[in-house]
Amino acid sequence: MSVIAPRFKFSEFVKAIIENAFWIIVVTTLVGLPLAMIVLFYVDLPVIDGALVTPFLALTWLSHPELALPLLKSFLTSDAFRILAFPGFGFAALVAAGTIFVERKMLAKLQLRVGPFYCGKIEGILQLAGDGLKLISKEIIIPAKADKPLFIVAPLLFVGAAAAFVALIPVAPGWVVADVDVGLLAVFAVIGFFPIITVLSAWSANSKFPFIGGIRALYQMVSFEIPLILSCLGVVLLTGTLNLTEIAQSQAVIPWIVLMPIGAIVFFICMLAELERIPFDLPEAESEIVAGWLTEFSGMMYGLVQLGSYVKLYAFSALFVVLFLGGWSGPAFWPPLEESLLESGQELGPIRLQLPGLPLFSQEFFSAVIWFVLKTAAVIFFVLLPRGVFPRIRIDMLLRIGWYKLIALAFVNIFVALGLVYAGVVGPGGIF
Amino acid sequence: MADPAFLALSVLTIVSAIAALELRSLVYGAIALMGTLGGIAGFFLLLDSPFVAMFQIAVYVGSIAVLILFTVMLVRRELIFTKVEDPRRRLAGVGLMLVAMASLGAIVVHSGISGITTEEPAVDFRAIGADFLVRYWPALILMGLVLSGAVTGAMVLARREDTEDDQRAS
Repeated sequence: MSVIAPRFKFSEFVKAIIENAFWIIVVTTLVGLPLAMIVLFYVDLPVIDGALVTPFLALTWLSHPELALPLLKSFLTSDAFRILAFPGFGFAALVAAGTIFVERKMLAKLQLRVGPFYCGKIEGILQLAGDGLKLISKEIIIPAKADKPLFIVAPLLFVGAAAAFVALIPVAPGWVVADVDVGLLAVFAVIGFFPIITVLSAWSANSKFPFIGGIRALYQMVSFEIPLILSCLGVVLLTGTLNLTEIAQSQAVIPWIVLMPIGAIVFFICMLAELERIPFDLPEAESEIVAGWLTEFSGMMYGLVQLGSYVKLYAFSALFVVLFLGGWSGPAFWPPLEESLLESGQELGPIRLQLPGLPLFSQEFFSAVIWFVLKTAAVIFFVLLPRGVFPRIRIDMLLRIGWYKLIALAFVNIFVALGLVYAGVVGPGGIF
Repeated sequence: MADPAFLALSVLTIVSAIAALELRSLVYGAIALMGTLGGIAGFFLLLDSPFVAMFQIAVYVGSIAVLILFTVMLVRRELIFTKVEDPRRRLAGVGLMLVAMASLGAIVVHSGISGITTEEPAVDFRAIGADFLVRYWPALILMGLVLSGAVTGAMVLARREDTEDDQRAS
C-alpha cells in the first residue's frame, strides 16, 4: 500500500494513460501537423544533389549511410549549426562546463585539498552533472518585494549577452557566427550590456546585499572598460582593421603579444576585472556581502547566471587569443589525407572500406581548431590561477589600479604601437 | 513599400521614447530610454553605417544609460522632484511636440530628399578616419584639446580633498 497515493487503482492508472495518449494524438493531428506545415512553408529547405530535402526525404536518407553523409555535410555548413553548436553557444557552454570542473579540481590541488571526489568513481568526474541536476530540481524562489519582471528576465539577458559575445569570436578561418566588419567595436558594444544587466538585477532583487554588489560591479566594470578598449587600440593600429578574423590572420608570422606585451598584460588584468574573478571579485565577495548581486537567485536562475559568467570567461579568453596570441595560427598537426584513400577507399584484407563524401572537414580546419582550443585553454588556466593564490583587494585600490595605472599603461602601449609603425617594423615594407 | 524592419524600429523607438517620459518608475523609464537609443542604433544599421551604430550602442546604451541608472538608484526621488500635476501643461507639451513634428515632417517631405536614390556603397570607417586626418585635422586637434581639458578638469575635481580621511591608506 503506497503512502503517497493511498487510493491508487491500476484501472484508473491505465485509463489516465490512454486518455493522455488520446489527447496527444488529437492535438498533434489537429494543431501540431498543420503548424509544422505552415512553418515548413516559410523555411528555406536545402537542395542536395538537385533534390529538395523535405523532412520526409531527410528521414528516408538518414536510414542509409551513403545518402546520410551529404545531408550531414549540408547541416554542418548551415547557419543553425553555427549558431547552436560549433563556434556558437553549444561549444562555448561545453568549454564553460569543462572550465567549472577544472577550476574546482585545480584550486583544490593548489590549496592541498581533494576537491569534488565522491560523485563518479574517478576524481569526482560526475560532480558537474550532479550540480546541474540539483540546480534544475531546486525551487526558484522570488523575493516577495522583488521587481518580478526584471528579476526573472535578468539571468536570461545575462546568458543572452554572453551568447552574443561568443557569436563574434572566430574559431577557425571562416568559422564564426557573425563575421562583421566592425567586430571589435561590436564586442565592446556587447560588453557594455553586462553592467546594465548586473545593476538592474541587483536593483530588482530589492535586498541590500545584491544592491551593494551591483553598485560595486557597476563601478568595476565601467572603470575597467576604458583601459580594456585602449589596450586593444594598439592591435587595431598595427593591423588597420576591426574585423576579428582579419586580426587573427594578420598574426600568421608573429603574435602581437611579442611586440606589445604591455597591451596584453593590461588587457589580461582588465579581463579579470570584467569577469569579476579573484583578486577583483568585489561584486561577489562572499565574506562581506553573502554572494553580492547573486544573493537572491536560486535554483536554475542562479545556474543561468553561472553559465553566463563562464561562457563570458570563455569568450574573453578567446578574444585574448584572437587579439594577442595569433588565433588559430600554428604548425599543421598532420599531413592531408592521400587522394587515393578518398577516391578508392582502404583495402582491409578481403573487404574494402570506402565512404563517399569524406572528409567532412579539411585538415586545416582541424589543425586550426586544435590550436585555438589549446591556446584558449591556456588562457583560461591563467585566468583561473589567481583564484588559488591571491586575496581580494579593496575597492579603492581597485579603482586606483584601473584609473591611474592601467590607463597610463594602455597609453604607453599605444605609443609602442605607433613607434613600431613609424620605425617601419610593422606595416608596408616592414619586417612583419 | 515601407520596409518592415524600418517600421518595427520606428515603433520601438517612438513607443519606448513615450514610455521613457510617461512611466512612473524611474528605473523602467531608464530602460525605455535604452530602447529608444538602441532603436536609433538600428536606424544607423539600416542606413549601412555599422560603425556609427556600434558606437551608438557602446556609448549611449552602454555608458550614458548606465550613468542615468546609477543616478536614479543612488538618489532618492522625493528629494529632487516636487510633483506638479497640471493637465494643461501636459496638453501644451503634446501640442508643441505635434506642431514641431508636423513642421519638420513637412519640410522633409517637400525638400525632395525622399526622391533621392543612391547606388553608393556604404561608407567605410577607414575613409572617415582618413578624412579626419587629412581634410579636417584642425577640427580633430581642437576636439582632442577640448576633450583632454575636460578629462583633466574632471580628474582635478575628483582628486579634491575637502575632508581629512585618516583611515584611507594609499
